[in-house]
Amino acid sequence: MPSLGTWLAAFFTLCMLSFLYKDNPFFRIAESFFAGLSLGYYIGIVANQTLKPNLVLPLADNFSANWHLLFAGGLGVMLYFRYIKRVAWVSRWALAVYVGYYVGVNMMQKLHGEVLPQVGDTMLSLSWSGIGTLWNVVMVVGVLSVLIYFYFSAEHKGAVGGISRVGIWFLMVSFGAAFGYTVMGRISLLIGRMVFLVNEWARPLIGLIT
Amino acid sequence: MNLERIMQIDRRIVYLFVAAGTILPIVFVIGLPVSITPPVQMAFDRMEDLDPGDVIMVSFDYGPSSAPENAPMADAALRHCFSKGIRVIVIALYPLGGLSEAVNELNKVVAEFPDLEYGVDYVNLGYKDGAQAAMRKMNENIHEVFPTDVRGTPISEIPLMREVRTYADLELCFSLATGIIGEWWANLVNAQFGLPVIVGPTAVSAPKYYAYLEAKQMAGLLGGLKGASEYERLVLDKYPDLERVYATPGLYTATKGMDVQSIVHLIMIAFILFGNVVYFTGKRRPRKAA
Amino acid sequence: MRKQVPLLLTFCAGMIPIVALFVPERHVSTVSTTLDSWLIIVAGFALLLGVVNVVQMNTNKIRRKTSGWPYAVVLLAGLAIMGTFGFAGAFGGFGGIATRLDGTSTPFDWLYQNAFLPLQGTMFALLAFFMASASYRAFRARNVEATILLIAALIVMFGRIPFGEMVTKWFPLTTEWIMAKPNMAAQRGIMIGAGLGAASMALRVIVGIERSYLGLGKGE
Repeated sequence: MPSLGTWLAAFFTLCMLSFLYKDNPFFRIAESFFAGLSLGYYIGIVANQTLKPNLVLPLADNFSANWHLLFAGGLGVMLYFRYIKRVAWVSRWALAVYVGYYVGVNMMQKLHGEVLPQVGDTMLSLSWSGIGTLWNVVMVVGVLSVLIYFYFSAEHKGAVGGISRVGIWFLMVSFGAAFGYTVMGRISLLIGRMVFLVNEWARPLIGLIT
Repeated sequence: MNLERIMQIDRRIVYLFVAAGTILPIVFVIGLPVSITPPVQMAFDRMEDLDPGDVIMVSFDYGPSSAPENAPMADAALRHCFSKGIRVIVIALYPLGGLSEAVNELNKVVAEFPDLEYGVDYVNLGYKDGAQAAMRKMNENIHEVFPTDVRGTPISEIPLMREVRTYADLELCFSLATGIIGEWWANLVNAQFGLPVIVGPTAVSAPKYYAYLEAKQMAGLLGGLKGASEYERLVLDKYPDLERVYATPGLYTATKGMDVQSIVHLIMIAFILFGNVVYFTGKRRPRKAA
Repeated sequence: MRKQVPLLLTFCAGMIPIVALFVPERHVSTVSTTLDSWLIIVAGFALLLGVVNVVQMNTNKIRRKTSGWPYAVVLLAGLAIMGTFGFAGAFGGFGGIATRLDGTSTPFDWLYQNAFLPLQGTMFALLAFFMASASYRAFRARNVEATILLIAALIVMFGRIPFGEMVTKWFPLTTEWIMAKPNMAAQRGIMIGAGLGAASMALRVIVGIERSYLGLGKGE
């Protein structure tokens, strides 16, 4: 017989799948419970895996070496000042540090980790040395035409319009490929749940796998 | 029967076809062969280049929303490491389930290798918030990012971690990623700190990763369930002893999943083609005057 | 002070990781890595901010008895159960939040395995059905662009399944070529364009032109 946990998991799986027939209270209950569990999960991981080992324990174990973490804790607490009307403006300070830092990191990720290497790798040899050169042409034309398609400072007429149309074709090939991959991804998720229902719940239930 | 009327069939009939196409190959396993693509071969070869005793980081950057794709990759990668004697540091950076996936997948695979010793051959450092901040800080000191392991053991008491302090002490990072975190390993960690990266993304995000792979910002790519099935095959071919694991009845593997993919893909292709046939037939037929 | 200080803080916090990349000097990297440590903690607090928002919203819903309020009770119940096991786990209660040393589940892990995982997994699995139905009804070769998209999609769908490989080896080969050449080129074009856009937006935030995230207008 399946365990209690397996029964519960099967029940929730079927509640969710019931939406395929039509919206119903079982689905809505499961959906709401899932949202609640997600938030509860956050509490568990943040308290257990970040705040305790990276803030509380270092301060408790060796305050003189880690006192600077008080600033981090202070910034974190300041985020919650937004719920106290009189001092809500203080939360902006913490938000400013949070947003500023991640924006700065992201800017360098984009420029240093994406734009430069990708541009560099597009500088390919176009002098004929076999079929590889043809593919180099495909890549260079593809990148440039897509970039021109996204360039809105010039009207897409004449040569610019023609090149941007080629860009659209490249984008369509890519979106088609992405569609094919997305189908695979979504089916994979369905396989995961069906494997559970068939192999872990239904089969033990009818005694095929004990 | 009027073709256009077939187009108006209840959506639930389409759902039934998809459900049947999924369930039947799970019940009756077909065992279709899987061919290898260059991105997965590159990942496998890069791992094979490592020596026994080398240390790599495996980052669980996914949750239940993509576990059926990422978990078989994680299992195959961990089995590969443990079969070859590569030591593994497991971390998780994805908030919604990354930690639990890391714990449960690691528990499952470790149970298949009874000789492994926790803290010596592998360690689970758990989850950390602020993924980019954690990735940056680990270049200076992994111990400060993860002062304890997943169960609260101080990192200084873990023998494996005495040898590993920064990215410089690692050979590579293998990220199983559901979304953008896998990209961060390429455009942040690899770009700024030079750590070689292999990413196993979900199929949905795989097309974008080809740009990183082509620019050599990644050492290999496992795109979705297909990538996972290819890696499984490569690992099985190289380490036939693992057959004892993959032959377990009822065990979900990416290779078995590809049977289902074949059937459901064919159903969807048939639906799309049929829809287009009806569309063009309707276009050719002159409309009746109103 | 209420407006200028946040802008100054954004500028400093944004510039530190940028400067640290270009100036490999000890003091700079010390400041930068200290900020990294802090932001790990701040990110934790920020994640929990969402919890407070949702609790506030749902308690209001229950208090006002707006339509669907019983579902708000279910949501808060889920939060309370998982949150209690999670929070207590931080202090060693219920054996923590991972599995126990002997491999058995703690209550937090048990709930993850038997409630959270099936719920989230199935929520996303539903998309497979919707996608099948939508592509049956809407995926048409209406013009040149749509035809290119359709052909590329069909080749990739066929080329990535074992059945397609069995029909002819050209399906997987063509698929790999599509992925590695035209798809890669288009993705690269998008990546470069979006990267430059994101970087210019980041610059606007750092120098204080873009202030909406602080709830400030342009002239404030």
